[in-house]
Amino acid sequence: MIRVTDLKKSFKMFSRPSDRLLEALTGRNRHHTHVALEDVSFEVRSGEVLGVLGRNGAGKSTLLKLMTGVLMADAGDIHIDGRVTGLLELGTGFNPELTGIQNITANALMLGMSHAEIEARHQDIIDFSELGEYIHEPLRTYSSGMVMRLGFAIAIHAEPACFLVDEALSVGDGYFQQKCMKRIREFKEQGGAILFVSHDLNAVKVLCDRAMVLEGGRVVHEGEPEGAVNLYNRIMARQAEEEEGRHKARHDGAYGTRQAEIIDANAQGEDSHSQMLTSGETLWLDLTLLAHEALDDVALGVLIRDRFGQDIFGINTYQQQGAFRLVRDEQRRVRLAIEATIAPGKYTITLALHSGDHHLDDCYWWHDSALQFEVAGYRGSKFSGICQLACHIELDTRNDPAAREEAS
Amino acid sequence: MMASVHARLAGWRNQAPFLWHLARQELIERHSGSLIGKAWTLIAPLINILVFVLVFSKIMGARLEGFGAEIDQYTYSIYLIVGILAWTAFAKSLSAITNLYGEQANLITKVRVSLKALPLSVLLAESVVYVISMIFFAAFLVLIDFPFSAWWLGVPLVFGLQLAFTYALGLLLAVLAVYLKDIKEAVAVLLPVWFWTTPIVYVSDILPPWVLSYMQLNPLFQFIDAYRDLIMYQRLPALGWLAALVLVTLGLAVAAFWLLKRTERDLRDCL
Repeated sequence: MIRVTDLKKSFKMFSRPSDRLLEALTGRNRHHTHVALEDVSFEVRSGEVLGVLGRNGAGKSTLLKLMTGVLMADAGDIHIDGRVTGLLELGTGFNPELTGIQNITANALMLGMSHAEIEARHQDIIDFSELGEYIHEPLRTYSSGMVMRLGFAIAIHAEPACFLVDEALSVGDGYFQQKCMKRIREFKEQGGAILFVSHDLNAVKVLCDRAMVLEGGRVVHEGEPEGAVNLYNRIMARQAEEEEGRHKARHDGAYGTRQAEIIDANAQGEDSHSQMLTSGETLWLDLTLLAHEALDDVALGVLIRDRFGQDIFGINTYQQQGAFRLVRDEQRRVRLAIEATIAPGKYTITLALHSGDHHLDDCYWWHDSALQFEVAGYRGSKFSGICQLACHIELDTRNDPAAREEAS
Repeated sequence: MMASVHARLAGWRNQAPFLWHLARQELIERHSGSLIGKAWTLIAPLINILVFVLVFSKIMGARLEGFGAEIDQYTYSIYLIVGILAWTAFAKSLSAITNLYGEQANLITKVRVSLKALPLSVLLAESVVYVISMIFFAAFLVLIDFPFSAWWLGVPLVFGLQLAFTYALGLLLAVLAVYLKDIKEAVAVLLPVWFWTTPIVYVSDILPPWVLSYMQLNPLFQFIDAYRDLIMYQRLPALGWLAALVLVTLGLAVAAFWLLKRTERDLRDCL
């Protein structure tokens, strides 16, 4: 159980380190203040996972550091029953010169475990980390994934009452991440309280019971993970727009004869109204086309690619309904509704205007990765792989003994 | 009130295995990977003592009179070793504690550790070295038939006071060193000066009286004098001076704790 009330933390910025001492001694102001957290209150009950979202600098790390006791709050109260462990930043308190085994002992002692407890869990920790013979090598020879595995193994075996997870988890490979997730879920079922800080929105949706969004050191939202994820995305989108306003680089990615252009493009989920959608949700693409001269034979194409640049799905209007015409200086709006029953992950959308079935004859406009969106979580039934194909399953129950008994 | 004292004691007790582990790491695991490993912890003090004995008694023939013909040739070595061992324990601990927060920043910013308890690991490690050295030293005294007496029992008491003094002064400097990088350099430069203004390699009798009266104010002068009184001259050390040292230690400790309490939040922020 974790209860945080009215937490406040500010950092004092000094022009010289010695000013800090002078102020501490005399009490006279020599700094300007950066408020990292203000009025933060929340509660994580036993057996509950609270997700924490927020962009870089929103105060997530400060919050975790306050909770582990590494930093001290200005005001407010943190109440935690039992031991807190976590995976905070990579290589928490590890000594790179010592071997994995020695670091297990050192780290476990730091967490407040007794020698007897360490003795009892030693083997479990080694087994869980799957480091094999590497456990006898100095830590400086480890890859960051291996350090993370060791750190996680120790933290989760220290029998904490509360477990703090931050982005460090994402260093592990897919297999180990899944293993960690499974272990976290077990820990939750045993009644542990978990604070889960992550940029992996899918994990937040899948794992967390509730989620809160930090922005500028304040809690701006707390509730269902889905709502929190959507809000977080809106915050991120706003940042991206600001960024864009500064660079004006968006159209540089486009090429073609520019006889026609796509002057405005927007992708959003039907329900989420953001670039984050759930698998199975309809993706709306709103485009505005502008023709600089009269064109008889125009086709609009969209191509969805995954983060590896692999084509997932592409379609153009020619394939659907033949070419259309544009008159000079005409602006035309187009809306595409795509049922995005694709696997969770990040995707980009490439937009094109060309003649005929493909862009190889006349390409008016081609813009790689003009838009992006992310899919997290599933609506309806889950599936494996990249996308869901229409599938009907018929179970022949005639030879099923259970069904026969029921019938008789 | 009682409950909070109790909780605090429990907190210190919980940290004990960890502090001991840090000390152990400093002493033994530092040598891991070397051929003879932990034996290095024993070899350094042993070689030190052998050098002092051989150089000053056999080669240079320095001696102090008044202990009987058989022993006189070793007296200067004994005088020197008593002083050097105590000084080494003090100086190494003090410089290590002064730089402790900076050097352990990786730990302090990642794991919950008590800033007050952390210096104890340094004292623990240096105490182990001191005890090992004293055992070799005692063995040497047995070899040359130097008389032992019950005054030896006073050595741990004086050493305990020396540790407390080192802790209090070290903690004060450690907190200041986080804010003022100059402290680290200053300690490194001033420790050798302190060494030579303390009668460790020379005998205080050679000093003019007015210099001596000032040098008696040096805490290390009094500590080392007390060890020599107990081990060599087998008499009661100057209790008045030792009592003054207790007061100085308490004063330093109060100042250090006050400073740490006042600045700990900031100190953790800027590590």
